Amino acid sequence: MVKKRLYLELENCIGCRSCLAACTQCGGHEQRNRNYVYDVNPLKNRQTMPLMCLHCVNPACARSCPAQAIQIHETGAVLSALVEKCIGCQNCTIACPYGIPKFDTEQNLMYKCDLCIDRTKDGIPPMCASVCPSNTLQWLTDEEIEAKQKQFNLDNGKWVTSMPYLEGETNVRVNLPGILQGVTKLF
Amino acid sequence: MESTIQSAKKRDNTVNNAFASHFAKSMFLTVVGLAILVFIGTRMFTHIDLNLYGYMVGTITFLGGFFYRFISWGERPPTKIIIKKGLKLLFRKSTAKTAVSHLAIYDFIKKRGFYRWMQHILIGWGCVLACLVTFPLVFSWMYFNMDGNGYYTVVLMGVDLVRIKADGIIAWFSYNALNISAIMVITGVCMALYRRMKNMQARAEQKFMYDFLPLYMLLFISVTGLLLTVQNVFLHGWMQPQMSLIHQFSVIVTLIYLPFGKLAHIPFRPMSVLARNYREHYGEQHMKECKVCGDKFVSVEQSNDVIQVLGTNNMEFNMEDGFNLAELCLPCRRKYRIARFSGFATHQVKVKEANQNARG
Repeated sequence: MVKKRLYLELENCIGCRSCLAACTQCGGHEQRNRNYVYDVNPLKNRQTMPLMCLHCVNPACARSCPAQAIQIHETGAVLSALVEKCIGCQNCTIACPYGIPKFDTEQNLMYKCDLCIDRTKDGIPPMCASVCPSNTLQWLTDEEIEAKQKQFNLDNGKWVTSMPYLEGETNVRVNLPGILQGVTKLF
Repeated sequence: MESTIQSAKKRDNTVNNAFASHFAKSMFLTVVGLAILVFIGTRMFTHIDLNLYGYMVGTITFLGGFFYRFISWGERPPTKIIIKKGLKLLFRKSTAKTAVSHLAIYDFIKKRGFYRWMQHILIGWGCVLACLVTFPLVFSWMYFNMDGNGYYTVVLMGVDLVRIKADGIIAWFSYNALNISAIMVITGVCMALYRRMKNMQARAEQKFMYDFLPLYMLLFISVTGLLLTVQNVFLHGWMQPQMSLIHQFSVIVTLIYLPFGKLAHIPFRPMSVLARNYREHYGEQHMKECKVCGDKFVSVEQSNDVIQVLGTNNMEFNMEDGFNLAELCLPCRRKYRIARFSGFATHQVKVKEANQNARG
């Protein structure tokens, strides 16, 4: 099975929130979504961007968990807290540099994107990527991501991908070729 | 200089230096403590039930695994902080209430689903009841004496506690406590197994070794235990000695396995009370304000602890523009990230974030 990654082309986002709706339907998510869609400049225009868990290679949430409840899957996905282990201290929510983990005070339980591990462990794209209508969220091999990088890289340092623009190496790759380079993309 | 020598001397004289490791110390103290309790409970070793010595050896083996697992776990920086600070706050007023809610009636599981709560109550309290009966008997902290005809004297820790009628109601419950707990555990485990077979989500995620094995082990214990009663009552004790060995085997194997698999959450769960105290106490003291929006989002203490823990992992989230991510509340942190992606300072726009409710 070829390893694929979640790949975000942020400026494609049209703010439909299909990814959030699909997220609620994933097995184990219990009707709740685990990610975010933000307006970039809420009073001025309609540009939105999704904010997903980036599945850090060295995740701060898991490092700060006193209960070892946040486990890392062999595919690199940083899993949601194990329900029997999470003690509800909320260390993970304040450790995460992106503010991703959500917390349910009633259930005393943290939950976060697990990259739909029941799907991705078998090579099926995560819910968000499989429904995204604007190719903001894609499920690609490393070669395909590299090809995209070549396609958009203008040697002006404006290719924003995971490193060095994020805090650490992540399993999810992020990219913003259009806006920063003034390129209009045709779909 | 002198003071360092003195403090070094002081350290040399502590009890801790008598032991090669934390593990050795815990193990030694626990076994000695057990021996003393047995000494008292059995009236100077005169009332030991040698029928149950296998369980005694099993318990001590279990303690080895338990200390090995939990000392290494407690060495992790975040765990250490919560245990240390949580224990200091153990005598808060709210501790009793939190402990009952988290450890006795499992309120938070009820919120996760009634069915799961029911199965957890049955398995949890079935096991607690069984342990409360078994271990006092194994170490002879509790035993029954028949002095007069038709009456048992219950002896607890060497003290004659009460005289009960041998065919009375209290006696009946004492004889059948393990049967009742076995039925509770079997019902709970069957509910859990049914859920694991029917629930599509559970089916996608579960692993045999992690999710099924502990259930099968509990079932193994309960069924063999219940069979002992069946053999006594209906089969005139046929094959009872053999079955009692099989039952003993099942209990000991489960005890040895307990600290390492899913069941490890049993001894581990009281941490949630410590964590709750930790959050409540420091939340009342001093809350940290978000550098951008000014919202109070977490206690200063916890924030500093997390920063320190991440520091031990060489993680420090200082941004080029002078921010440290730990200074931002969670919505601002997310908006700041969007700002880093887009180049537009979303976090500086004084608008509440759009609906991010998990249920849409």
